Amino acid sequence: MAQPIVQLEAVSKSFGMTHALSDMSLDLFPGEVHALVGENGAGKSTLIKTLTGLYQPGSGRIRVDGQPRVISGPQAARALGIAAIYQEPMVFPDLDVAENIFISAADEGLILRPAHQRRRARDLIARIGMAFDVDQVASGLTLAEQQAVEIARALSQDVRVLIMDEPTASLSAHEAAQLRRIARTLAESGVAVVYISHRLEEIFEIADRVTVIRDGSHISTRPVAEVTSEGMIAEMVGRAVGNYLDKAASTATADIALQAERLTRDGVFEDISFTLHRGEVLCMAGLVGARRTDVALALFGVSPATGGTIRVAGRPMRIPDPAAAMAAGIAYVSEDRRKLGLAMPMPIRANISVATLGKFLGRWGLLNRDRERATAEAFRKRLNIRTPDVEVPVGTLSGGNQQKVMLAKWLNMEPAILIFDEPTRGIDVGAKAEVHDLIRAFAAAGGAALVISSDLPEVLALGDRILVMREGQQMGVLDAAGASQERVMQLATGQATLQEAS
Amino acid sequence: MLRLMDRLNPQVLRILALLAVLVAVILFFAAVVPNYLNGRLFNRVSSSVAIMALIATAQTLVIITRNIDLSIGSTVGFVAFATGSLITNNPDLGPVVLVLYAMALGAVFGAINGLLVAFARVPSIIVTLGTMALFRSALVEYSDSKSISTANLPEWLVSFPNTVLWQWGQMQFRAAFVAAVVVVLIVHVALSRLRAARRLYAIGSNPEAAEMAGIDTRKTVFVAFVLAGALAGLGGFMFLARFGTITVVAGLGFELKSVAAAVVGGVNIFGGSGTVIGALIGAILVDLIDTSLVRWQMVSEFWREAVLGILILLSVAADALLMRRLVAARAAREHRKAEERIARELAAQAQGPAP
Repeated sequence: MAQPIVQLEAVSKSFGMTHALSDMSLDLFPGEVHALVGENGAGKSTLIKTLTGLYQPGSGRIRVDGQPRVISGPQAARALGIAAIYQEPMVFPDLDVAENIFISAADEGLILRPAHQRRRARDLIARIGMAFDVDQVASGLTLAEQQAVEIARALSQDVRVLIMDEPTASLSAHEAAQLRRIARTLAESGVAVVYISHRLEEIFEIADRVTVIRDGSHISTRPVAEVTSEGMIAEMVGRAVGNYLDKAASTATADIALQAERLTRDGVFEDISFTLHRGEVLCMAGLVGARRTDVALALFGVSPATGGTIRVAGRPMRIPDPAAAMAAGIAYVSEDRRKLGLAMPMPIRANISVATLGKFLGRWGLLNRDRERATAEAFRKRLNIRTPDVEVPVGTLSGGNQQKVMLAKWLNMEPAILIFDEPTRGIDVGAKAEVHDLIRAFAAAGGAALVISSDLPEVLALGDRILVMREGQQMGVLDAAGASQERVMQLATGQATLQEAS
Repeated sequence: MLRLMDRLNPQVLRILALLAVLVAVILFFAAVVPNYLNGRLFNRVSSSVAIMALIATAQTLVIITRNIDLSIGSTVGFVAFATGSLITNNPDLGPVVLVLYAMALGAVFGAINGLLVAFARVPSIIVTLGTMALFRSALVEYSDSKSISTANLPEWLVSFPNTVLWQWGQMQFRAAFVAAVVVVLIVHVALSRLRAARRLYAIGSNPEAAEMAGIDTRKTVFVAFVLAGALAGLGGFMFLARFGTITVVAGLGFELKSVAAAVVGGVNIFGGSGTVIGALIGAILVDLIDTSLVRWQMVSEFWREAVLGILILLSVAADALLMRRLVAARAAREHRKAEERIARELAAQAQGPAP
């Protein structure tokens, strides 16, 4: 084979205590489609950001054409011929297609030549096998077309390495096929294409080589002919499992707390049916784009379902907004603490009381701060929130303690059903175990817990049953006792269906 | 109809719509105000538009990058005063030096805003709210509560705005108005044809993507503020030439008028789209209505502001609705086309032999 265009040599990158990449080595050759696979959080995004100059490696080296290089930013990466496109296209909605394509082109001189630019834009769009009007503004394009615009932008300058980060995750089957054809065409013209996808069948269709990464480390790189989906999945999940993942005894009862029947939100997910019992922990597993959070948001009324029924304690319920969900005893602990969860500059006390302010009203309808503080103190002890004082701003706490504050906020509502969305993402192992204990305690006290998690060992240890989703479809419900990581992964990647499972 | 509208560039469409509104407003007032349509109306409006067009253009540059400059009025006032006192003390200075001085002074104020917004990352509405008061106080301090008066200004400066370049019937094309329109046209060509200018739109349209596309967003935003300051400085020069008498309240309220003109002219307050031609027409429209309402007996002094407010609300709401519908209609059609294409391809696949 020819000389690699880009070589990563033992690149490491840490964020605080987390090792996002450790000793990662990778060679990218001209003319290959190099698939990169790994679980959520395996380090793929960090790897891309390192290649495109958004992150600087903590240690190790990047070589381009054999020469060690420092990639100082996206512009420097472009100058070296490295470009990336993402799942969510980065287009400028107010500019037209041609303007979008040539926004960063440096070789076009000081003055714009719209006619010339439009002609070149049409050529580029044609080169990747698409056909649409280059005069229309980008806000009117479909997602696939926006992806094409981004690819054309990359091609407008000399591109040697094109990184495609889950480009097909939000596309329809037809559009995805179109995009894969583009990737193949580019590779045949000598570009090194790095292709990241959770759809394993795509990888077998277009990849030349496959690299598996896990926990920031390089696991294997093989020609696609030597790879099987079982082998790939085993490598993706096969990590050492810490002892914090002891399987807890089930406390599930026969009472049904929540029942979903053929729950559907048009174009997002469809036919999701499950029962959630009192005292039970039901985990939802799946990969990015499986639409698990959308199901949770439908149950909580943020983006209501368009079809199907929801029964709470046997009674059919309409849940058009979060207030209705809360009235029905459903609480939702968001995965995005920063955006949807906590008011970071406000004290712990105020964050805990904010969803249940009605409980803290004193005389004249004024808030009773003493009662707020007493409640916050009680939760501080009960959940072991490590803080000297409940008056400190939540933003100053560690991730694990923030998570506990969020939990306290919703536990104070005394919900019958609690939905946890990625409750342990981005928190350390010790805090994880504590959060698990809290969820278990909630269930043991008769609550019904629905836990969305991308962490497979967590799903297996925490869940009594596991609902696996893939691209808006329910792939099956497994009994955690009989399930394995490989089994869940097969369902989540669409390599198996549930016919034979219990 | 929608089809035809669809063919046209949305920006062109906006300008056509604005012109239609302009004509409608003129016809309306012609119907209710006796002896309305005459050259004096044109002359009156064009004189005041000469200043407003410049500051609306300045404001547009900043708004396009998803920012705002509330200090424009104070900049105009300070520059008008400082330029006036320079020429009072040095009556021999020529026009070129004076204009450059005004623009450079404005650019310095713009640079202060730009530094704080682009590099210190303070939201522009906060920064310029602060500098609006600061620049105004600086003017009070600097002027020592004295005024510039026409008597001390050289003859060429005072007569410049009213110099009639050419006349068409009663309509006089005066130097200040013509100069302002020329400046607007130059900025328009620069904005639509310069590569660097396209970055202003890119940043306002999607700041994150701009960063990813390798655009130096800080530098670009900084430059936008400096240019806006320089244009406001030019506006200050015009203000001095037109009024001659400059007090500490010079340019008060211009910041909001400039925003109004830009927004009425179709500049998106969230950045990313808009033209200075639109802002110019917006300035003309705002000024025309302001001037005409004075002559309409039905509306009291008190209600003029309200009518102006209604105009701003209407134009922005109409613009948002129209554009949303256009975009939706276009997307729906594209979607239909795509589906037909897929159906054709599938049909072709089903008939043809397997490859």
